[in-house]
Amino acid sequence: MQSWRRKSLWLALLASWLLILLGLFPLLRLAVPTSPRAGAPQGWPRWLDTELLQSFAKPGELLEDGPRPPQALRGGSCNWGACFDTSKCRGGGLKVFVYPAAGPVSETRRRILASVEGSRYHTLSAAEACLLLLLSPDTSTGERDPVPPQWDGGRNHLVLSLHPAPCPRTFQLGQAMVAEASPTVDTFRPGFDVALPLLPEAHPLRGGAPGQLRQHSPRPGVALLALAEDGGRWHVAGTDFSACPWDGRCEQDRGPKQTHPGATLPNATFCLIPGRGPDVLHFLQALQAGCIPVLLSPRWELPFSEVIDWTKAAIVADERLPLQVLTALQEMPLTRVLALRQQTQFLWDAYFSSVEKVIHTTLEIIQDRIFGPSAHPSLLWNSPPGAILALPTFSPSPSDFPFYHLQQGSRPLGRFSALIWGGALGQPPLKLIQAVAGSEHCAQILVLWSSEKPPPTRWPKTAVPLTVIDGHRKVSDRFFPYSAISTDAILSLDAHSSLSTSEVDFAFVVWQSFPERMVGFLTWSHFWDEARGGWGYTAKRTNEFSMVLTSAAFYHRYYHTLFTHALPKALRTLADEAPTCVDVLMNFLVASVTKLPPIKVPYGMWHQEARPPPLEPGGPGLRQEPQPAAQNCINQMAAGFGHMPLVSSRLRLDPVLFKDPVSVLRKKYRSLEKP
Amino acid sequence: MCASVKYNIRGPALIPRMKTKHRIYYITLFSIVLLGLIATGMFQFWPHSIESSSDWSVQKRSIRDVPVVRLPADSPVPERGDLSCRMHTCFDVYRCGFNPKNKIKVYIYSLKKYVDDAGVPVSSTISQEYNELLTAVADSDYYTEDIARACLFIPSIDLLNQNALRVKETAQALAQLSRWDRGTNHLLFNMLPGGPPDYNTALDVPRDRPRRYFLLSSQMALHPEYREELAALQARHGEAVLVLDKCTNLSEGIPAARKRCHKHQVFDYPQVLQEATFCVVLRGARLGQAVLSDVLRAGCIPVIIADSYILPFSEVLDWKRASVAVPEEKMSDVHSILQSIPQRQIEEMQRQARWFWEAYFQSIKAIALATLQIINDRIYPYAAISYEDWNDPPSVKWGSVSNPLFLPLIPPQSQGFTAIVLTYDRVESLFRVITEVSKVPSLSKLLVVWNNQNKNPPEDSLWPKIRVPLKVVRTAENKLSNRFFPYDEIETEAVLAIDDDIIMLTSDELQFGYEVWREFPDRLVGYPGRLHLWDHEMSKWKYESEWTNEVSMVLTGAAFYHKYFNYLYTYKMPGDIKNWVDAHMNCEDIAMNFLVANVTGKAVIKVTPRKKFKCPECTAIDGLSLDQTHMVERSECINKFASVFGTMPLKVVEHRADPVLYKDDFPEKLKSFPNIGSL
Repeated sequence: MQSWRRKSLWLALLASWLLILLGLFPLLRLAVPTSPRAGAPQGWPRWLDTELLQSFAKPGELLEDGPRPPQALRGGSCNWGACFDTSKCRGGGLKVFVYPAAGPVSETRRRILASVEGSRYHTLSAAEACLLLLLSPDTSTGERDPVPPQWDGGRNHLVLSLHPAPCPRTFQLGQAMVAEASPTVDTFRPGFDVALPLLPEAHPLRGGAPGQLRQHSPRPGVALLALAEDGGRWHVAGTDFSACPWDGRCEQDRGPKQTHPGATLPNATFCLIPGRGPDVLHFLQALQAGCIPVLLSPRWELPFSEVIDWTKAAIVADERLPLQVLTALQEMPLTRVLALRQQTQFLWDAYFSSVEKVIHTTLEIIQDRIFGPSAHPSLLWNSPPGAILALPTFSPSPSDFPFYHLQQGSRPLGRFSALIWGGALGQPPLKLIQAVAGSEHCAQILVLWSSEKPPPTRWPKTAVPLTVIDGHRKVSDRFFPYSAISTDAILSLDAHSSLSTSEVDFAFVVWQSFPERMVGFLTWSHFWDEARGGWGYTAKRTNEFSMVLTSAAFYHRYYHTLFTHALPKALRTLADEAPTCVDVLMNFLVASVTKLPPIKVPYGMWHQEARPPPLEPGGPGLRQEPQPAAQNCINQMAAGFGHMPLVSSRLRLDPVLFKDPVSVLRKKYRSLEKP
Repeated sequence: MCASVKYNIRGPALIPRMKTKHRIYYITLFSIVLLGLIATGMFQFWPHSIESSSDWSVQKRSIRDVPVVRLPADSPVPERGDLSCRMHTCFDVYRCGFNPKNKIKVYIYSLKKYVDDAGVPVSSTISQEYNELLTAVADSDYYTEDIARACLFIPSIDLLNQNALRVKETAQALAQLSRWDRGTNHLLFNMLPGGPPDYNTALDVPRDRPRRYFLLSSQMALHPEYREELAALQARHGEAVLVLDKCTNLSEGIPAARKRCHKHQVFDYPQVLQEATFCVVLRGARLGQAVLSDVLRAGCIPVIIADSYILPFSEVLDWKRASVAVPEEKMSDVHSILQSIPQRQIEEMQRQARWFWEAYFQSIKAIALATLQIINDRIYPYAAISYEDWNDPPSVKWGSVSNPLFLPLIPPQSQGFTAIVLTYDRVESLFRVITEVSKVPSLSKLLVVWNNQNKNPPEDSLWPKIRVPLKVVRTAENKLSNRFFPYDEIETEAVLAIDDDIIMLTSDELQFGYEVWREFPDRLVGYPGRLHLWDHEMSKWKYESEWTNEVSMVLTGAAFYHKYFNYLYTYKMPGDIKNWVDAHMNCEDIAMNFLVANVTGKAVIKVTPRKKFKCPECTAIDGLSLDQTHMVERSECINKFASVFGTMPLKVVEHRADPVLYKDDFPEKLKSFPNIGSL
């Protein structure tokens, strides 16, 4: 007991000392003057008499400004407001006329002309055009082009020049805009001119090579840094650059070095590009290679700088601070490196990989200027799938698109619209309508009646509204953006489709997790046919698939807008002529946007047994095997897209307890498991 | 009992035993010493501290004591500014040099009063706003007192209002600054921020007044040409357009700046701005218009009709989101242009305009800091603030997720995956796992993390011979987080984390898991799925491992994921989660599920029907009671992590991934993954 008391005494004593000490320290700190030099100027002083200070301007002074007459800027210092007449673009939006080439044209010019003609803005009549495109004469020929007929002082003209060299212009530019490859910052007029990338001679017209980054890897493993050298070559350096002068040229030997000949792409994390190097080609090479461009005080405007946020994909550093840049690159957080590399790939693929993309991006920029407030927001330009594939006319709000839910913190609407393509059928698909209307997620049913016969006046009673839309014969019209479609999700169906409510419910829940993809029940797969030297596709059941049939598939309604307004007309005509082609086309379109395969969900085999025998060949319905003639369609599509966008998948998404040996009562989607 | 015994043993050992007499002696001695110390402190420092306690950090001086500098009439005038200046030509970055924090250093010249030969002051010493601005700079991280270390210089000569300046004399004053050097690296503020400061109080109250007017013009001194255009607009669109002008018939005593009139109707300014959806900002004598600030503050969307007007901070702020720019030539169309903007976009713009005002223009301090941040971003571009950080209002930032693996791609199969086996001492089981996993075709490397410090791993000759490289990593401490360390030995992007007792997974199952990961490289791909549920009675999260129709987590006893998540787990795990996991020796898998879901905003992918990892040998100890404590612990983990993350990031889904032909009526030998295993 005594030890207890002794101890508590000690403790009390200790505690009191501690308290005293604790109390004393702040006092000591207060007491010791913090500044050794009393009276020296220290920080910005807190004035004792701030209330005596006056405001920098008297009330009213700012409002009494004398007015100045408006100045119209003309000629050399043109800007968009003063030198472009948007009144011509009213109504039809941007219409582009391109002056036909006179005489023989070079390959590059031919590609540019083809790209403009393939654009959705192209018009053949100069009178109705609001933008007239003039290809700057080839510098090599030295020929003097006459002033074009509709010149009008250059008003509403865009002079396209793919070479940065000051081209010998035989006429004054007047009020024309200039789209020039790598223009110098001194002559570039922001918001009026367009900066283009410098394209190599053999740049493909369409499609184009994909980026080199095949996986999300922050470091390619070979080198940290590659330096641009003359002639489009790269000097891959290790991590030791202490001996390297920073103008991009290194005389000394720095251990292991490899020099790539020709246009080989650099295999490094960062690509150092000197600012005044004549060879701006390096920039595109680095972009394609997924090598983060480090531009040292560039004297040229970065391509499409009006809309592309280059800080997300490149680093513009000061050439005078080499060591600092180097340290910053070495110490850059992994997360940032990863993000920068991925952005290079996205930008390359969205805007630079083909001549067509470069031209279309240019036109899209002009279109955005005309649109003013309803132009693409910055998010649409700077995140996948890019502004060419995200039409601002669809919606002003990014959360209406299927692509930006994560960035916006939004989710797709929780209901769907069933769109039943009537085909040539004379009978309403009663069973199908009942099954679909039975889904708790169904908001409405739309029937596209396209038979010769008038639609029946009586339709089955359903829990959801049923609307009949009339009068379309063309197959491609099933993907028209009907204003009646009020939900984000569309369940596209044929009159012949057979589905159960469970299947619809589950597929829709899956779609909500993947709103940018197609979620379907029946699949096709494409393959490379060695024998025929072309693509083929099959409906046979295989271990993988790359297309889902639109006769029963969920997808976002945005794809209707894209299908109707962004696809080249030739491809849609093709689909109208060979109706099975429309499935291929839709799958091509979605795959080229998402770069991902569609999603397959389980589909009861009993549907197929219960189904009536196939109707007329090629007609809509649950087509089992594509017709031989239709096989050719996939090759035409691939040619139209310039590449094969389809991606294969080896998985199917099933309900969590699908066919598990547990009580059926535990399972949410029971009827999916019918034998 | 245990605790008190320990205490009794330890207590006396710490305090030396002493006789009572001695103890008292010591206590007294110590107290005297202490008292002495206190007394010394009091006498030595007390008087000082009373005097200086209020200004021990910053000096307080009177504005009237500012030193006076006489400028001779013939002192040098600086050259005119070079209009072709660019950051890389005119700015001397060498002064900024290397800086680990990537922050510029700003020096402020001390305040002087400049007078000319006749003794007449060159300008007012300093205005209230400029003092506020310099105070904000001095209080920021950028400020330095050492002129030699500074990379940016701010003169204390007040240039805010150009009208009040004596230009030549002010220039002379600038030229004699100690580091002027033709103005290199000097930052001059010349601005018209906001209206006069005497009418802000009345404004901040009613934010959401009905916006009665569609378009409003409130500027007073406008060119007649503009006024005509505006009048025409009003005539065409009637009530929706309101054009205000200076009041001519105001009685005495009412400040003219606070009133605007339309014909004989008098409106309070700037309150009237709150009643309009769009407000016109027209070109005046200066391009920059004070009305812009008033308009932003009122939550009205500015309609800029002034060609070549560079909007404030336009280098970083996306004004398209908060304003409408109409070319001067198209002024007559302004109504139809605005009419074409959908309502949702208008609301978005209003929100954006308000956010710009609050974040960057509300106070002199906000303006000063935004200015310095922009310059800082130019000098240290690799550490610059992103577009989203500048432009997204907090409500958007909070809900948005930026997936670090956002690029949609399917990695090539050829690279394969690295299996990481965490083991302690179950060598026999470990060897079986190694043998089984090595049968998976896409395995490219096997990494054994030896977590036992007391025992050496078996000799090389004893390990099973497999076709891929096998590496053993020894750890310094037996910690669960070692399994998620980004070892340099991992050369593939795909990682398979696998326990040393998971021998039931078939080769087909693992290979299929890898194929699924390739299609979802930004997700956790695992076998048994688990679910979190909200327990309404207890008002907290609950861990669920029963047969559910949903999953939100996968166990990492065997799971594929991207190597990058190892880096995130080790270096970027929020709060104390990592230590918590190591201390509890549990829930590392839940922590990984939280981390991945939080950073990607996406759900896990459960593969194949498997529900449990049950090793045949350990069923005996897997008793019911153990199971229950296990569940309680796991639930606790979920609640703990949710509180650290500040949200519940896990996403619930109802699907799992199976091979395309799984359980289909199809010949087994034609299926790619026939042996998908059991539950």
